Amino acid sequence: MVTWIVATLVFFMLRAVPGDPLVAMLFDVGDPAAAEELRQKYGLDRPLFIQYVKWCGLLLQGDMGRSIYGSRVPVSTIIIEALPRTISLALLAFAIAIGIAIPAGIIAALRKNSFLDHATTLLAFLGLSMPDFWLAIMLIIVFAANLHWLPAIGYVPISQGVWPWLKHLILPAIAAGTAFSAIIARMIRSSMLEVIKTDYIQVARAKGLRKNTITLVHALPNALIPVITVMGIAFALLMATTVVIENVFSIKGLGRVLIQGILNRDYPVVQGAILVVSMIFIFINLLVDILYTVIDPRIRFE
Amino acid sequence: MQLATDDASRVDSPEDVSLLRRSRWTDWWLTVMHDKKALAGLVILAVFVFMGLFAPLIAPYDPNDMEYEMLAPPSRSHLLGTDDLGRDLLSRIIHGTRISFFIGFTTVALALVSGVFLGLTAGYYGGWRDHLIMRYIDLQWAFPNFIIAVYMVAVFGTGIFNLTIAISLAYVDDFARLARGMVLTIKQEPYVMAARAMGASNTRIMGTYVLPNATAPLIVQATVSVSYAILAEAALSFLGLGVESTTPTWGLILAEGRSFISRAWWVGVFPGLAIMLTVLSINFLGDALRDFMDVRETQDLM
Amino acid sequence: MKIKWLESFQKDQQQKVSAELSDAYDFDPRDPLFGLPRNDLEGPVMSRRAVLRLLAATGALTAWHMLPGTGIRPAAAASGGTLTAGWAGVGEIVTLDPAQINQVLQFQIASNVLSGLTHIDSDLVARGDLAESWQVSADGTQYNFNLREGVTFHNGDKFTADDVLFTYNRSRDPKQSIHSRAISNVKAVEKIDDYTVRFRLKSPQASFLVKSLERASGRAMTIVSRGALAKMDETDYGMAPVGTGPFRVTYHQLGQGVVLEKFDGYYDPERPKLDKVVIKPIIDTEPLAAALEAGDTQLIGGNPVPAELLDRFQSNSDLVVDIVPGPGFQSLWINPWHPHMRVPDFDKPLGDLMKEKGFKVRLAIAKALDRKRYIKQAQFDRGLEAFGTINPAMGFFFDTGINETSNQAFDPEAARRLMAEAGYPDGKGFPALKLLTTPANRRESQVVANILKKNLNIKIELDTKDFPVLIEDFDAMRWDLVRIGSGGDYDPDDGLVDWMQTASKFNGSKRDKSKQAFGFFSEKEVDQLVSEQRVVTDPEARRKMVRKANQITSDKVTCAFLFHPVDALVHHKRVNFPDVSRIPGLVDLDRVTLS
Repeated sequence: MVTWIVATLVFFMLRAVPGDPLVAMLFDVGDPAAAEELRQKYGLDRPLFIQYVKWCGLLLQGDMGRSIYGSRVPVSTIIIEALPRTISLALLAFAIAIGIAIPAGIIAALRKNSFLDHATTLLAFLGLSMPDFWLAIMLIIVFAANLHWLPAIGYVPISQGVWPWLKHLILPAIAAGTAFSAIIARMIRSSMLEVIKTDYIQVARAKGLRKNTITLVHALPNALIPVITVMGIAFALLMATTVVIENVFSIKGLGRVLIQGILNRDYPVVQGAILVVSMIFIFINLLVDILYTVIDPRIRFE
Repeated sequence: MQLATDDASRVDSPEDVSLLRRSRWTDWWLTVMHDKKALAGLVILAVFVFMGLFAPLIAPYDPNDMEYEMLAPPSRSHLLGTDDLGRDLLSRIIHGTRISFFIGFTTVALALVSGVFLGLTAGYYGGWRDHLIMRYIDLQWAFPNFIIAVYMVAVFGTGIFNLTIAISLAYVDDFARLARGMVLTIKQEPYVMAARAMGASNTRIMGTYVLPNATAPLIVQATVSVSYAILAEAALSFLGLGVESTTPTWGLILAEGRSFISRAWWVGVFPGLAIMLTVLSINFLGDALRDFMDVRETQDLM
Repeated sequence: MKIKWLESFQKDQQQKVSAELSDAYDFDPRDPLFGLPRNDLEGPVMSRRAVLRLLAATGALTAWHMLPGTGIRPAAAASGGTLTAGWAGVGEIVTLDPAQINQVLQFQIASNVLSGLTHIDSDLVARGDLAESWQVSADGTQYNFNLREGVTFHNGDKFTADDVLFTYNRSRDPKQSIHSRAISNVKAVEKIDDYTVRFRLKSPQASFLVKSLERASGRAMTIVSRGALAKMDETDYGMAPVGTGPFRVTYHQLGQGVVLEKFDGYYDPERPKLDKVVIKPIIDTEPLAAALEAGDTQLIGGNPVPAELLDRFQSNSDLVVDIVPGPGFQSLWINPWHPHMRVPDFDKPLGDLMKEKGFKVRLAIAKALDRKRYIKQAQFDRGLEAFGTINPAMGFFFDTGINETSNQAFDPEAARRLMAEAGYPDGKGFPALKLLTTPANRRESQVVANILKKNLNIKIELDTKDFPVLIEDFDAMRWDLVRIGSGGDYDPDDGLVDWMQTASKFNGSKRDKSKQAFGFFSEKEVDQLVSEQRVVTDPEARRKMVRKANQITSDKVTCAFLFHPVDALVHHKRVNFPDVSRIPGLVDLDRVTLS
């Protein structure tokens, strides 16, 4: 239902954007007749409502149409090609974020108000406060242009080897994951602090369990519950970041497809891409809800 | 959701509420004075606000004057060097404070007001209003915020005004969701029930009981949003959708200088530093606010 | 590096070229084509004398081909290897099908994959590609081409006259090709036998071999494969077209780039030298430089290399930066229908025009443009001051003296005086103007605004719009000032016919015709000169007309001309890019080797 409203909204909202893709495409050719021919061929000359009905009909058959530009690649192909790039980037960024955030959050919580706590807090805020494209360019200048350690651009599918895939994603993932790791570290710290205060941890402590056992076996899983809630929102944040990061590193992921589509007024592409992004959003949140009940049996769906 | 409503629940007249609020602000002030990070944040922000207010008096040069040597390193005549068009970087950053702060605070104020209005209406009245508003919020939530901003700029064009609207629109749902959640909780509090039973009008109940008690988490959310808005503006500038160069923002200065960073570090470092300091300060303040109001960390992301 | 030397160099070379030309012009002035005996004009390769004359006639003659050592040199013996090239300023190559190509960065690649009947060489001379030789009829309206035999497509099909016909029929159908207009002067194409075709033209066309039949920039007659198109759909063919070129496309995914591999069946067994070429689109500036410096890429193609990187590359001893004049002009257009800059009629002597208030403002803006400063700030000193559409790459037609003779020559004093006479002393009372520009052109538009503010004390606000919106506004004349220009101009027609005539394709095609008699410019004498120079066969006469038209459009301020760009090729030292392949605007890799 929401998906359908989104689809409809996107369709009509896009046509409200000024700018004609065909005129732009044929500017150099300078042939208004050619633009009209193409408009007819692509069915863009028909009334908006008819176009909409036709689009919906095709959509139900799983056909999202074709890009207006160049070779008129089917939108589904563009999205299927772009998805693994964005997902790889998002997953790796997420992994890096979690990898940094969990230990940092735990240490900060266990050593509350120590130097380590303040240092991680400061670092976390620094990570939060850097514009992502700026961090990305800095990483490129240091690790690609000067040290020549990692490539500055591009994406290699994992089918061509794990290392080439990883090598191309390290810099973008760091750039996209930094701000996110800061947020999660802060969250883990505060939820750890709360969990430690709770009765059962005090009981565990009274029973003389080792501190590490308490932290890892008892406190951490409970502290992670609120973190999981945020994962849905995490995707939203990552999406915004990947739009920019994909542009810096020339990775044609979903974000890049969307931005390019909006700027070029490539209607079918934007419609398809937004639809897919919204569906992923809704799916992830469903997943988070389910995960939540699994981890914390006290929560039940109404 | 656990809220700091213990104090308020004992209050039964509006006069007392405002008194209480005043004293809470004083408490907060005292907390800030004792929290070194928050104090530092406050001082830095104050300096920036001062800089912004008196920019024309403080800035050593006209920020749009291209009369100086291009990409000159920091020197006595140009403390922070010049940019790629021969403009004084310090003057541009000082003037940039105005627009960056304006965009940061105005967007959040707009989003806050409209979001709270929607959230209160939905949460307080329930019924069809709630249904309608929640559908809208769900819908907006299914679009990544950043994409909404890009779309808005594509429709209305660039410029400070359009940019402010675009970014604020993207944050409306965050505030609406939060406000609604708060109202639903507060509505069940005995003192609200009592007021209603005593025949207080809806507007009166909302204004005197509900809203003041919902402020704490909203303020926390707002502070964090200001920093996101400043970063979002930078990201839009990076995509070429930012403000015009004659009214620079820090994000724009950074985005314009990005291809010169490896050749002239100052164009990348100083505006980046300004953004980082501001975001850092806002977060420190927000942190102190959160600690003081005892708002759980999760809420800034909900 | 200063480009200034170019001017003196060109003056020098100009005389040499003129001398050789007059020498080449020694007989039969009545010949309807170029005053040449047909034997000289006919291929496989035209005689040097014919080359010079034809070049001059098509506007492709540059001082550059007079440089010593630019002849065909055998490439270094080394062959094999993989070259990785970064394609600048682009995120994806949306098509390689010549029928859909609308960007230089696309036909740069297509030129390595598909062949045409002719291809320009580094001197911008048309050489036979799939046409082995050709004969031209006495009246210049019939071309007989003898096609190369034994040529195969990448899919194994044999290339014959039928493929030429197929390509022609595909290209002239606006439903299948966006270039139908480019071959509208062709009346018919006939197959004489499997390896002979005849083109019949409606009227003689000096630029036929260099423009219409060219394999890269020409596009309309770039030979496509019948067999492949019968099996592949439009999209698959657009992504990986099958042609007869030196490389074949083995991989192409949007955003990932293109992989070209050596085609073993290429008609010249000596070419290509490389085994494989990997083309990666790179959007942003810093990553483009970083990838090249780190050795991830070894060459930059695609959009022009950002000027701010050239200093950095030139100071890097691992890199080679080769700069030649680029074929194009960039300019600032002034709306003649704006109430404060109104010029509703350009058809009067310049002296009368100079008395009108609106024209005074126009001229003041043009005269106040400090082009030297603009080039320094906006182009990092790479570019030549422009005063007309005719660019320095068109050596023979380019007027090196126009910077002094043009009414637009930089003179801030005179510009201020003109503003005062128009009723705006020191800019007082003059409204703020909106300068329409794209996000990509924002930086340099700021420089323009600043220069006008400094010199005239008028306020210019940038109005940044995405390209699709800007084009609509431009066509409908909804602008005060607009920053736009032209590239790939090898022939005077590219500037004059496309931009300067009343009927030009860009001249306010969607304006309100009841209120605006023309778009940005209309002048009877220019219209006539431009039409005549198109068909005139005597190069000297053509040059006279071109220069006159250029002078009038400059003096009457069709637009305020800004600069002519340079063409920079950047690659690693270990890439040998032979001079013969150094065609401005193209990246032909068939002779490139790695050491």
